[in-house]
Amino acid sequence: MPTHVLLVEDDAMISEALSLALEDEDFAVTTAATGEDGLELLESTTVDVVLLDLMLPGIDGLTVCRAVRERGDLPIIVITARTDTQDVIAGLEAGADDYVTKPLVAGELAARIRALLRRAAPGRPARFALGELEIRPDEEAVHRDGVPVHLTRTEFRLLAELAAADGKVVTREQLLQRVWGHDYFGDTRLLDVHIRRLRRKVEPDPDSPSLVLTVRGSGYRIVPEP
Amino acid sequence: MIRRLSLRWRVAAAFGIGLALVMTVLGVATWNLTTGYMLDQREQSVTRQSEVNVRLVTTALAEHADDLDELLTGLATGPDSSILLSRPAGWLTSGRQVDPGVVPGALLDEAQRGVAARQRFTADGIPVLGVATPVGSDSVYVELYPLLELDRTFRYLSTLLIAGTVVAALFGVGLGAWSARRALRPLASLTAAASRVARGDLAARLPDQSDPDLAPLATSFNTTAGQLEQRVRRDARFASDVSHELRSPLTTMVNVSEVLERRQDAMPPTAQRALRLLRAELRRFQRMVVDLLEISRADQDEGDSAVELVDLGELVRNVVDSRPACTVRIGTDPATPLVSADRRRIDRVVANLLDNADRYGGGAVAVTIRPDGGNARIEVDDAGGGVPPALRERIFERFARGLHAARRDQETGSGLGLAIVADHVQRHGGRVWVEDRPGGGARFVVELPEATT
Repeated sequence: MPTHVLLVEDDAMISEALSLALEDEDFAVTTAATGEDGLELLESTTVDVVLLDLMLPGIDGLTVCRAVRERGDLPIIVITARTDTQDVIAGLEAGADDYVTKPLVAGELAARIRALLRRAAPGRPARFALGELEIRPDEEAVHRDGVPVHLTRTEFRLLAELAAADGKVVTREQLLQRVWGHDYFGDTRLLDVHIRRLRRKVEPDPDSPSLVLTVRGSGYRIVPEP
Repeated sequence: MIRRLSLRWRVAAAFGIGLALVMTVLGVATWNLTTGYMLDQREQSVTRQSEVNVRLVTTALAEHADDLDELLTGLATGPDSSILLSRPAGWLTSGRQVDPGVVPGALLDEAQRGVAARQRFTADGIPVLGVATPVGSDSVYVELYPLLELDRTFRYLSTLLIAGTVVAALFGVGLGAWSARRALRPLASLTAAASRVARGDLAARLPDQSDPDLAPLATSFNTTAGQLEQRVRRDARFASDVSHELRSPLTTMVNVSEVLERRQDAMPPTAQRALRLLRAELRRFQRMVVDLLEISRADQDEGDSAVELVDLGELVRNVVDSRPACTVRIGTDPATPLVSADRRRIDRVVANLLDNADRYGGGAVAVTIRPDGGNARIEVDDAGGGVPPALRERIFERFARGLHAARRDQETGSGLGLAIVADHVQRHGGRVWVEDRPGGGARFVVELPEATT
């Protein structure tokens, strides 16, 4: 069964061309021209990933993004008009897993989607503990004192990658490559926002992290025993 | 031609000359009034005295002409006066001895005609006032009064006046220089602001002036600078908007061409060739739009960059590693320099320099990272033909493609690569230039201020 993509894009030409090209990459594409249509389609259809233009008529992309995120951890890739920091950060803060800028190419987009949908690499113990957290890679679940901590798939994989390094530093480049499938020129803003989101969920005090630590000028590492 | 004096010195000279002129006029007037008055006084008293003497001499001549010598000696005169009496038989003299020949002929002639006369002249090196009065029918009484004291007073007065004029002129020059400098002080801040604008700081403004003479200057300068800033920003925004608008159609075209490319085997050869051309141009178009957006964004936003501590050696290694075809030798010291920088922009700088070497320099042969006295240097060497000195500045301009301007094939870049390099490096307070590589080829050098840790 092909991966099902919901494309929310108001430019009919782009929408049609991207559909054609993504279908060539073996995706099933459903298109919506407005945010309202997109949200309505999500009620009736099961999709695997949402591709969302942030510049939409009617309710804007950021609102749609937050609405989708509230529903669950459906992966979202936002299409930003500009690469300006504010636009990108706003999209990511609204819950997007990744972002692309126009002109976006179907081949590259397909790689991003596949990276997002990839499951965490097997071969790890079914459960392991990280301070107060219990991580269950096969279920993609995290519990704190037996209570589930809700992480998106991307956040979970970020945590899993850091945990797998066993206290050693994981560079930004490695994280971008392993979690998002970005090449070296990936955007560190993407990583920074996700780390922030992750800390909000797993750190006892997100303002002074004790679990996910920043290694200045290099990357991040996890302290196994805080 | 003498170099034109600066405004300050011209003002100073005008002050000096002006004061000197005023003082000269005053001095001349003072001189004339004073000397005229003093001479007048002296002449009157001399005349009065000589009239008394003449009356005595006249009486003596009429009564007993033999005792004239004695009489002359007894006449009341000043201490250094001389008395001369011209008789048909010769001169009789008394008082300070002078040669009667020093008495001007004109004075005697006048007196002989029956009119009393006065004249100033120099007798034996001493200025004197001579009064000649006819006595009797054939004699002339001449009295010479020395004017030494008066002369000394005049000399003192003239020295005083000349010195006063000179001092006033010098004072004028000083006053002029000082006031010109004071008046020009706002001009110095105007110059500073203007040169800041010229260096690219469009936000430079003059402080508000409270002085009514200077306020219009500051206002009009600030208005001009404001309009310039607005215009530059509008232009930058226009370039950004244009490239932004081009992205949507470009997205459609790129994706459609991908779909077509997948089916090219089913196409006739002509269509395949046409598609290949279309794809190549689309790639170029895409590069241009992306680069144009990058550079216009660089024009626009300030402070929108994430500055962090970057290890240049690691950064360069990462960039080179991300280019599979790149087999460049990387030379670094064990401790590579750290810089405070926006990683994305420096990535772009290194990548663009490697692109440039690939396109025009036959590929990069070595990249060296080394500290250089407070700065960190990245040197990208290629094995091409080098860059002629005349083009070394121009190649960093937008759409300047140097020697390769005429050649355009698939490998042509956007024409903005090195301009982006220059822009990003400058944004980090660094410099970029190109020089000859020892042994041939070009060496592009990026110099960034090293981070202070």
